[in-house]
Amino acid sequence: MQREHARKFATRESILQGLQEVGYICAGEIATTLFLAYHLEKPILVEGPAGVGKTELAKAAAAFLGLPLIRLQCYEGLDESKVLYEWKYGKQLLYTQILRDKLDDIVGSSSGLTESVQKLHQYDDMFFSPHFLEPRPLLKALQEKDGVVLLVDEVDKADQEFEAFLLEILSDFQISIPEIGTIKALSKPFVFLTSNNTREMSEALKRRCLYLFIPFPDPKMEREIVRTHVPGLSERLRTQLISFIQQVRELDLRKAPSVGETIDWARTLALLHTDILNPDLVRETLNTVLKFQEDIHLVEDHLQKMTQKAL
Amino acid sequence: MRISVAECVDAMRAVDLVGYADRQRLGEALSSVLAKSSDEKEVFKITFERFFSSEGFPDPCQGIEDASIRLDLRASDSTLTGLLVSGTTADLAMSVREAARAVDVAGIRFFFQRGPYIQRILHHMGLAGLDHDIEMAHGKDRPASQRRAKILELARSRLFENVKSFVGRQYTLFAGSSTEGALEEYLRNARLSELEERDFHRMYSIIQKMLKHLNSLYARRRKTSKRGQLNFKRTLRANIAFDGLLFDRRWKAKKIDRPDIIVLCDVSRSVNAVVRFLLLFLYGLNQTLVKIRSFIFCSNLVEVTGILDSGLVGEALARMLSGAETGVLMGLTDYGEVFREFEEKWLDTVTGKTSVIILGDARNNYGDPQTEVLKTIYRRCKRLIWLNPESRSIWGTGDSEMNRYSPFCHLAKECNTLRHLERVVHALLQYSLN
Repeated sequence: MQREHARKFATRESILQGLQEVGYICAGEIATTLFLAYHLEKPILVEGPAGVGKTELAKAAAAFLGLPLIRLQCYEGLDESKVLYEWKYGKQLLYTQILRDKLDDIVGSSSGLTESVQKLHQYDDMFFSPHFLEPRPLLKALQEKDGVVLLVDEVDKADQEFEAFLLEILSDFQISIPEIGTIKALSKPFVFLTSNNTREMSEALKRRCLYLFIPFPDPKMEREIVRTHVPGLSERLRTQLISFIQQVRELDLRKAPSVGETIDWARTLALLHTDILNPDLVRETLNTVLKFQEDIHLVEDHLQKMTQKAL
Repeated sequence: MRISVAECVDAMRAVDLVGYADRQRLGEALSSVLAKSSDEKEVFKITFERFFSSEGFPDPCQGIEDASIRLDLRASDSTLTGLLVSGTTADLAMSVREAARAVDVAGIRFFFQRGPYIQRILHHMGLAGLDHDIEMAHGKDRPASQRRAKILELARSRLFENVKSFVGRQYTLFAGSSTEGALEEYLRNARLSELEERDFHRMYSIIQKMLKHLNSLYARRRKTSKRGQLNFKRTLRANIAFDGLLFDRRWKAKKIDRPDIIVLCDVSRSVNAVVRFLLLFLYGLNQTLVKIRSFIFCSNLVEVTGILDSGLVGEALARMLSGAETGVLMGLTDYGEVFREFEEKWLDTVTGKTSVIILGDARNNYGDPQTEVLKTIYRRCKRLIWLNPESRSIWGTGDSEMNRYSPFCHLAKECNTLRHLERVVHALLQYSLN
């Protein structure tokens, strides 16, 4: 498995090709970063506007490598127990109840407290063994034998404590559980961290990662993306669509349309079996592209001009 | 851009993997290892272009009419002559770079150092030998020698141009930042009232930097816990291991709210410059950090929160400070009247959590100071800060009522440089977090 991965990551071109095969069109820079991340064994911090393909990148990488994807969605108040591991308290209590008789037998034959406790010490770690451990995403990621792609989504929504906690895992790929010991990764996972830039990441986290910024794509790339995801669209319509969207992005909007929205719009137009862009059609379908009423008003003012230009 | 040692090591490993044959690939690889935010990526791109710019070293010997008369390399020629005559442009470029490294051109700091560095590089390359050869060629009387001399001179001047532009590039690369740094230091400590229009642009960028720093520093909303109220849900969750027994108690936490700020600014000519920068500063702070209401006054008091909240602060400020459109009477400053008006119209909005900042020189033109009113405001608000652009030594001189007002201020500070403003803002934000 390792050798196969090494072959896939041999050169930047092979990565670019491989990603294209699983349906993710991207710039060369992304392939270079993936190449480095694999060989230097570092996580990747992906930033960029919403909807531009950050989470998709992780999914595409998992598909390309043929590895399972473990996803951890971050939010404020996320703490260790939900992310790392938790003891199966119920199971522990249940087993103690069921085995109470057995325990009585073990202790019964001894006299005095000290001897009983010593006898129990032999079975000390029984209730804190891996049987009773409920692994959560991060621990699962470390325990996969063949490796795994770990996606920590929207890490900027989690708080500072969580970030500090992530540092150990990201640099050494190991966790220490007090009762069991240190658990090292069987094979190092491929880690993606995505961020919407609502707040600055701490320096320590940034230092441990490679940084990738995915901007809005240029027209040529966007055409390729639409072609891959919505094959039923004619080339003429595709060009007009992309030209229109690029114009929309230049306006002063509250939220500029992202690649996801372009694809949605393309799908809508494909469903409506249209051949050519006209202002009425655009006006009707504008809400797939823009998500704020004020933005829709703004674009409607310029609609005629922009559609003319796109044709 | 701060780059740690670990990042340097990573960069080396990255170059090792990627190789330096393909320039774009190298750029991408280094960018992902060294630049860790979108701003840094921009800076990196510019620096990368500058550092690895392909040296357009034009051939010193090109453009000579008689191409058939190629100069022969004579045994007596110096190394530099030999290089100019028969070497390739790549060899020449290599030689210049070696010489540059030998004279440590990376240490260049000031623009007047360019001349000396050029001389040193040329000297290291062997200019003396070239000059000697030219002289020798001039000395002989044959036409071939004369031609040779001319060609060599042409090559010499071209070489000089090459080295000059090379040193110029090195200067922008290495010294650019240090002169900028010195200028910035100067501007941070300069008196705002003495600055001129042409400095404003730089001041804005310095303010932006300070604001970014402040915003990221205080963006963390720290939670204090107010013990006394049990957070039941959290406690139960934490005590699952103990079968629901309230073993480990969790308490309700109260998040610190943003400070409430009311700013009163004197817009008379003397205080104009400081007002502009203070407001820029305050409005540049993240919305989530502070709630601001601003007022301007001269002979009367006018609220301008609406104007500043909407749109670009810089423009709004420029309009406001010229006195137009706001209803401010630009006559003699009358602090007494202003305080009275504030008490009448807006005192209700001052609560025990409000910080009131007054920016003015307290020069009342011998009017009625109305210190009683100030006392009322002082009692009601959380704290009253007076920022005076004049230096402390002249407080209380002439018609300045500073000494009458300062007992009723929690803090009275001299404020006329960017540094002072920064400190004030730090104090504002920090205090509220405690």
